[in-house]
Amino acid sequence: MREFLRKLKSIRLAIGLIAFLIAGNILATLIPQGLETERYFSAYPKLVATLIVETGFNRYFSSLLFLLPVIAFFFNLLACTIDRLLKESKKKEKRRHGPDMLHIGLLVLVVGSLISFSERKEGSVTMRVGDSVDLPNGQRLTLKEFIDERYANGRPREWTSVVDLAKGDAVVRSGVRIRVNDPLRVGGMTLYQATYGAEHEVELTDATGKTRRVARGEKDGGEGIELFFMTVDENQKAVVKVTGLPNVSVVRVDGMGTDIGPFKATLKAAPTTGLHAVTDPGYPVVVAGLLLISAGTALTFAQKLKETSI
Amino acid sequence: MIPTIAFVLLIGAIGAQVVTLFQGKRESDKISPLLLGATAVLLFTFTGMRSVEIGFFALTSTFESLVFYAAFIALLALGYRFQKTAPYYPVVSFGSTFIALVLLAIASSPLLPKEALPPIPALKSYWLALHVAFSFIGEAFFVVSFISASAFLISKDEGKKAAFDRITYAAITVGYPIFTAGALVFGAIWAERAWGSWWSWDPKETWALVTWLVYTSYLHVRLIMKKKDAVASLIAVAGFVCTIFTFFGVNYLLPGLHSYG
Repeated sequence: MREFLRKLKSIRLAIGLIAFLIAGNILATLIPQGLETERYFSAYPKLVATLIVETGFNRYFSSLLFLLPVIAFFFNLLACTIDRLLKESKKKEKRRHGPDMLHIGLLVLVVGSLISFSERKEGSVTMRVGDSVDLPNGQRLTLKEFIDERYANGRPREWTSVVDLAKGDAVVRSGVRIRVNDPLRVGGMTLYQATYGAEHEVELTDATGKTRRVARGEKDGGEGIELFFMTVDENQKAVVKVTGLPNVSVVRVDGMGTDIGPFKATLKAAPTTGLHAVTDPGYPVVVAGLLLISAGTALTFAQKLKETSI
Repeated sequence: MIPTIAFVLLIGAIGAQVVTLFQGKRESDKISPLLLGATAVLLFTFTGMRSVEIGFFALTSTFESLVFYAAFIALLALGYRFQKTAPYYPVVSFGSTFIALVLLAIASSPLLPKEALPPIPALKSYWLALHVAFSFIGEAFFVVSFISASAFLISKDEGKKAAFDRITYAAITVGYPIFTAGALVFGAIWAERAWGSWWSWDPKETWALVTWLVYTSYLHVRLIMKKKDAVASLIAVAGFVCTIFTFFGVNYLLPGLHSYG
């Protein structure tokens, strides 16, 4: 047992594991990850492709090839840290806890990574202005506005989704802005501004001048006529199925507008926003680990630099 | 225009240092510190002016990053001349100046876009500025360690080898915590705020981790195993090769989330 512990905390084992991880990581950046099996067989000789697929190297960072050395490194580091802490605690003076802080930070980081790896959940939603989604904490998020700001040369400046959060009928937070690099954290979930785009809608204007919009796949109408916005064809025209009008069954609608019975139908583009939702219970642990690593490295090497004989 | 003047000043500094090297002197010449100081001031001024122009820290393109990197290496080559912790060898200053010159030459390449453009939404983050700035400051120290480690490997004189080993160790000792904070800590925090994932195994991230692991190996070999031989110097050289590949190789050979430059 003592011999096992001695080997477990050995610096040679640590260096060996680090070297293995370095080699594996480099290879994983050179071999494309996550492709379909057939693509490896078309890109590499059969033997190499078989090796990549059978060893799990096509998904290296979630494979045992990667996880086993990481777990071994964790226990090696844990043994080193405990051993070092015991030795330092016996010292009467000149205790150096920088390396301990750094090593504990790394251990915390590995734990946080594993929590993140197993518990992180994500999903996306595309919304038009006025759309709402229910959040897991019981609140309802409604998109009030999407702002696409541009510089004078047309380059994107900022994409902003302006949302309201409501609990039942009461608005809890109004006019909350979600931007790239400025996510909204709510109820253990983080919402990111991920994409933007536009969805086609058919705008119906009736005889009184009132307008309403019909989304793809929706029906609307009146005065005995029903309009069903089926799809957009290859000429970028809306294909609308009409019932209730004699001799008319399908009408193609463009941006200039088309009369359908008492309505004028016009194809419009409604801006949409893509929000990316993430829950990651491991992230706070990861941040704690990173802070300990930063403080540990700074403390360790500040102490070392003070020494006269480096 | 300013980077061009800085480039000319660096050529002057190189020239002055070459003369000193051929004379076999241990002390610095009188001219190159002035030229290095002027280069650093000019390049940092350029970065500042450009930051005002684009309304954000001018660290969002390959050109801007190279200018900042070269500026910090010039400052470090100057600082090395006046520091008292590690022994002074003109070859270390010369090598660092030469690398700053090469980086500025790459920055001036017609293949590299130089237009001052305000940042796109993904790059508008103070965490990004910290991430890039700290990474390059750390890597500037690794430039010094690379030169001294190379000098160690070339040198036959045991006294000089010991001195070069001390310089390598001192440079990595300072650069490592800064690089750790910049490349890994601030990088992870920025990634979480920008993409919702603090680590994505993107090629740039993976190579930054590889670089960090190589320097971690160096410190363990040098600090714990007390090795002051060629193995430690070879690891220091490998570490610098990794930083260069992380910057240039990944940008142009392995596209991923960091393909902005």
